[in-house]
Amino acid sequence: MPLKREAGWYKDAIIYQVHVRTFFDSNGDGIGDFHGLAQRLDYVQEIGVSAIWLMPFFPSPLRDDGYDISDYKSVHPCYGTLEDFKTFLSNAHDRGIRVIIEMVANHTSDQHPWFLESRSSQDNPKRDWYVWADTDTKYRGTRIIFIDTEMSNWAWDPISKSYYWHRFFSHQPDLNYDNPAVREEMWNVMKFWLELGVDGFRLDAVPYLIERDGTSCENLPETHEVIRELRKKVDDHFPGAMLLAEANQWPADLRPYFGNGDEFHMAFHFPLMPRMFMGLRLEDRKPITEIMQQMPEIPASCQWCLFLRNHDELTLEMVTDMERDYMYDIYARDKTMRLNLGIRRRLAPLLDNDRRRIELMNGMLMSLPGTPIIYYGDEIGMGDNIYLGDRNGVRTPMQWSGGWNGGFSIADPERLYSPPILNPVYGYQAVNVLSQKRTEHSLLSWMKHLIQIRRSSPVFGSGSIEFLHPANHRILVYVRQLGKETFLIVNNLSSAAQAVELDLRRFKGNILIEMFGKNIFPRVGDLPYLLTMGPYQFYWFRLRRI
Amino acid sequence: MAEETLLTDDFLRQLINVGEVDIVVGLPTHNNAKTIDPVIRAIQAGILKCFPRERVVIINADGGSQDGTPERVTGASIDDVWNVSKVYALRTLHSISTRYARTPEPGTALRTILAAADLLRAKACVLVSPDSTTIEPDWLQRLARPVYNDNFDMVSPSYHRQTSEGVLMRNLLYPMTRAIYGHRIREPYASEFAVSGRLATDFLAKETWNEDWGRVGAEICLTITAITGNYRTSQCFLGAKTHPDRSGSDLVATIRRTVGALFASLDSNFPLWSTITDSQPVPTLGTQSEVTLEPVRVNRKRLREMFATGVAELEPIFRSILSESTLSELKRIAGLDVSDFNYPADVWAKTVFEFAASYHKSVISRDHIVQALVPLYRGRALTFLLENREGSEEDVDRSVESLCGEFERLKPYLLEVWADRK
Repeated sequence: MPLKREAGWYKDAIIYQVHVRTFFDSNGDGIGDFHGLAQRLDYVQEIGVSAIWLMPFFPSPLRDDGYDISDYKSVHPCYGTLEDFKTFLSNAHDRGIRVIIEMVANHTSDQHPWFLESRSSQDNPKRDWYVWADTDTKYRGTRIIFIDTEMSNWAWDPISKSYYWHRFFSHQPDLNYDNPAVREEMWNVMKFWLELGVDGFRLDAVPYLIERDGTSCENLPETHEVIRELRKKVDDHFPGAMLLAEANQWPADLRPYFGNGDEFHMAFHFPLMPRMFMGLRLEDRKPITEIMQQMPEIPASCQWCLFLRNHDELTLEMVTDMERDYMYDIYARDKTMRLNLGIRRRLAPLLDNDRRRIELMNGMLMSLPGTPIIYYGDEIGMGDNIYLGDRNGVRTPMQWSGGWNGGFSIADPERLYSPPILNPVYGYQAVNVLSQKRTEHSLLSWMKHLIQIRRSSPVFGSGSIEFLHPANHRILVYVRQLGKETFLIVNNLSSAAQAVELDLRRFKGNILIEMFGKNIFPRVGDLPYLLTMGPYQFYWFRLRRI
Repeated sequence: MAEETLLTDDFLRQLINVGEVDIVVGLPTHNNAKTIDPVIRAIQAGILKCFPRERVVIINADGGSQDGTPERVTGASIDDVWNVSKVYALRTLHSISTRYARTPEPGTALRTILAAADLLRAKACVLVSPDSTTIEPDWLQRLARPVYNDNFDMVSPSYHRQTSEGVLMRNLLYPMTRAIYGHRIREPYASEFAVSGRLATDFLAKETWNEDWGRVGAEICLTITAITGNYRTSQCFLGAKTHPDRSGSDLVATIRRTVGALFASLDSNFPLWSTITDSQPVPTLGTQSEVTLEPVRVNRKRLREMFATGVAELEPIFRSILSESTLSELKRIAGLDVSDFNYPADVWAKTVFEFAASYHKSVISRDHIVQALVPLYRGRALTFLLENREGSEEDVDRSVESLCGEFERLKPYLLEVWADRK
């Protein structure tokens, strides 16, 4: 039974990002599948998340882990069938878990029938479904995104003897959104999945839909027009369905993707994420408060999507050169860890497997304004394998137990789509769901508790935020408020104990209730409110006037 | 613990908020509102440009300004610097201020800043003068980098000076320090310098803080501590150094603060300096650029008169300080016409050494001995200015080098009078 798509459901959601291939292999072929995912929905439900975001599971040559789609309306045979997907969707909905899928709208695989037709001759009816040119000189002002692999955004097609435009890998030709037939066909794709019951789409690479000479070919007004058109169709036909933008842009360019509440419902907060890591290592709230202050207001119906890590590299495109150098020096000294303009590492290794830092970062993820996303495996502190190439090192098999293949598959280990993590610190024998479920103080148990508290109030998802500025810059403090509920969040970004005095006079008379232990702290008075905080400690307080 | 009583509760609270830092930039002030703004801007720009990743704090130790100097320090907005320099800081930059006394006392200001640096576990502490109007953002790097990155314990400056600037330094403090301690540090008493956290901590624990001369002459004591201890010293070229209007400055107080402390240091360090027979260059970092010297304007008549009057009026005191031959030479010089006036280098070196020995033996009140040197210094200053009035910077350097040579050559004489005089 599909869940009713209530308006704004995404604002209080907690999203679990998972790749079908990586989660659980039910048929022993070494590759995760929908059957397996459906079998592990109990676990997803246990964590406490309310939505799953699935990475691409469509037929594809898999030269970019499924982001090179060759058929938008089917399921890759490795992962099962469309029926398997429907079963999974139904089971998820039965558990109150919504499902968001990928919509890789900007480009297809070069093996997609549309492209095969388009390249077959210059007068093919689908010729202008893609962006073709006789020379590679158009759109010169456009940056190259995959700088480690691509020399140009144009690739020569020997069949039709012309160049085609691609913002990502050369085997991913960009669709031509100036063509109404393309827009209509992509809407048909979305309609197909929405009719099956999916709750929303993550639209991949949205800033790049339209190209214009003399521009950066990013964030163009015409692109926003395409999005508005899609959104209207979604609202008209599938009210409550959600669109999430992947627009890795600076704040000023990111805000327009919400439009007047008539474009995306949600967008990833790309500028914030690297600055959370930066603030932690600098032991200084400045990078976080500064970027938050730069972020313009968004329409009431819209929401930021917050994340610490995902399936891609920790992108450093939206930071200054100086900040990028700092991040590389601190988080990716080994150059193998770097990819394009980012760092291909998981959360736990990034934070030196320091439990306190992992908790603090997750605490901020859950308490800053937005809908948090947890990348599969980060809830148990999985590691990565930077030697696997591209971003495959953060897409290794989920570690379910200390047994055969980490409980991911019964296949021969050599047959797995990817070697599991094996090292003594992060390997499946040390880090796995089974052992953490049995331990009250494991990271998994702690994450469940955190999520439970987060879900206990809509303040976190929908409340306002106001930063306080105590003189101690190592302490990041903000007040979240919704209606009559007020939460005070205090984070110590420092590796050392800190004292901080908070000016809480306007809350005079309230007592603070620490939300994890439910303990009462002294009543707020006229004097500065003194807190002493251990290294990387954080407090969530509910303010109560009794 | 000295710092426990030195730092006010309010200042301590500010330090708690700042927390551990990499670099402290100390700014001792007293009524410097006229010059402080460009200095602060240069410091902030220097931090943004050269130390964007480091934890840096600007600490103002104020001696009771009535002109709003501390407010200017703490209120200076980093945004102004960003807008001009387009350089961005990764971190919070704190500017804090404390009023250490109702009356200014440079030694206490320095002690306050060093105590703060010690508490904040700073790796480097840079002192900047609030009236250094020629300061450039790069100064911060030139001073701090050798300490912060290369493990030096002290970096003293080397300035381009006009001939009429730094006369006491070039005629007494540098030559004497060099001859005595064997280190060619051009500015042993500097208003800009950098020290390591280690040196700051060790210096704070020195007994000299219990002596008047130690408190008053803290800056030069710090240099001497660095030279005589197991510390790595260096110097760096900074650039032009000019002072704003000096007409109101008190030469007597300056000489007490510097020469008095230098003389006093000789007592406890005798076993060390008495064995040093020559001087060694100190690693000097950076490149020196040329500066065009302005012609010297000097009131020769007045300086000569002050010298001659001093020699005449203080003759009874000089009799207990100086040898007969030196005194008679001074009387001869005092009788010279201004056009022929010349206080030769060897006589000046002997004069200073005899004063030092008398100070050691406290033949009269030590304070009176130091004060009695003032008119004689004026005579030497007149000679220096006349000799170099049309000289280039190189000429001036040669003249200073020659004087240093005299001090070094005559050092055995100091040992002689140090031992013989009763």
